[in-house]
Amino acid sequence: MSLRPLVLAAACALSAFSSLALAAASVGAAAPDFSLTDSNGKAHTLAEYKGKTVVLEWNNPECPFVKKHYSSGNIPKQQADATAAGAVWLTINSGADGKQGHVDGAGANAFLAQYNAKPTAYLLDPDGKAGRAYGAKTTPHLYVIDGGGVLRYMGGIDSIASTDKDDLPKATQYVPQALAELKAGKPVSVATSQPYGCGVKYGS
Amino acid sequence: MRTLLASVLLAPASALAAASAPFAGDHVALSLVSENSALVPGQTAWLGLRLQHDPHWHTYWINPGDSGLPTKLAWHLPDGFSAGEIAWPTPRRFDVGELYTFGYDGDVLLPVPLAVPAAASGAAHLVLDAKWLVCQEECIPGKATLTLELPIAAAAKRDADAARFAQARAAQPQTGKWKAAARIVGDRIEVSLRGADLGSGAGVDAFAQDGKVVANAPPRFSRRDGAAVLTFAKSDYFTSIPRALELIVLKPGAAAMRVRALFDATP
Repeated sequence: MSLRPLVLAAACALSAFSSLALAAASVGAAAPDFSLTDSNGKAHTLAEYKGKTVVLEWNNPECPFVKKHYSSGNIPKQQADATAAGAVWLTINSGADGKQGHVDGAGANAFLAQYNAKPTAYLLDPDGKAGRAYGAKTTPHLYVIDGGGVLRYMGGIDSIASTDKDDLPKATQYVPQALAELKAGKPVSVATSQPYGCGVKYGS
Repeated sequence: MRTLLASVLLAPASALAAASAPFAGDHVALSLVSENSALVPGQTAWLGLRLQHDPHWHTYWINPGDSGLPTKLAWHLPDGFSAGEIAWPTPRRFDVGELYTFGYDGDVLLPVPLAVPAAASGAAHLVLDAKWLVCQEECIPGKATLTLELPIAAAAKRDADAARFAQARAAQPQTGKWKAAARIVGDRIEVSLRGADLGSGAGVDAFAQDGKVVANAPPRFSRRDGAAVLTFAKSDYFTSIPRALELIVLKPGAAAMRVRALFDATP
């Protein structure tokens, strides 16, 4: 058997997958650090929140899936409950400038005010660096990081992929569930789920 | 009032088309169509949801890919009637930057089999609740209720829309006689195909019906020991090894093939 074609194939496969690398984050591993400015111009890094549980929520104000979870009060309530319990909730927008879903600071603040949503901060990631580091694909897309900086949940907001608010009472909300389990020192029963939503519009 | 007007305008002069009044949604028009102009007792008839997308807008396949939502159907049928699952035509891949989705644009028909009971008589009033997500850069969810009344007859005549059903059948993935095996190699999944004429691999593409095994990006093609090998990245949401992986393999100029690759227990 000739070794060379196998080596070439492997080399091709590796280079292809580096371009496929939309996922450096995995449950059980250290969550990637980031440095982003929020909607009020203040800088935030993941590292500064070491010791606290951190929730990351990828957002696009015009996405019908995001609107389902905001207009119903579902995400605003989860943000309020999580921050009241001492967690940090960071809403992140990785939409590239000029692409659908991108917001500036004023737009982000207007969106939050519209729904009376109070995350710890709304972070702007227009060059997509944080989004790509986490493999964020949809809005919403949720991640829960424990106080030690380890990723403990990544995936969808809940268990029913739809744009219908009527599905909310029947769905399992994965973030409050994970936060409660972490607080009780239990393993996270659903550590990953398929995220659903609108695609994140990264720049090229 | 609007739908009544539409159905009057669209009825062809020669015969009443067996189609519901079209629903004009945002960027996509939908109608419930029938292959035949009558339903025959004891037989399986074919109905379909026709979607006419505005240019550059698309709806999604059963596995929508990295984002999106598949079109969902809920039927309200007379006693004894039952509708099966959508016979999804081969979708196309949409490349949205670093994300990949699967679905349909243009004018497409999603066929559904309808079992007609042996005791059926008179006419059948068929109601379909359809939900979809249509996207270009932005996404717009939609829903509609479409109704169709069809006579029950001893023999069915092919309807004006019959050609669309023939096209939808031709667009189905075919079941291949290829021998396919899958195995996990680190963070990749390799599927080897024997008996497949995929040539040099130029233009070959493949994607899975289940979103939680392989990632949605196109696989790399290689040859090894006389077999074609498709190497995929693992899905970020891979939890456990399934018994088998259902793939659709596309080669330019050939029919799309449905392949079932059993996972290899041996390393």
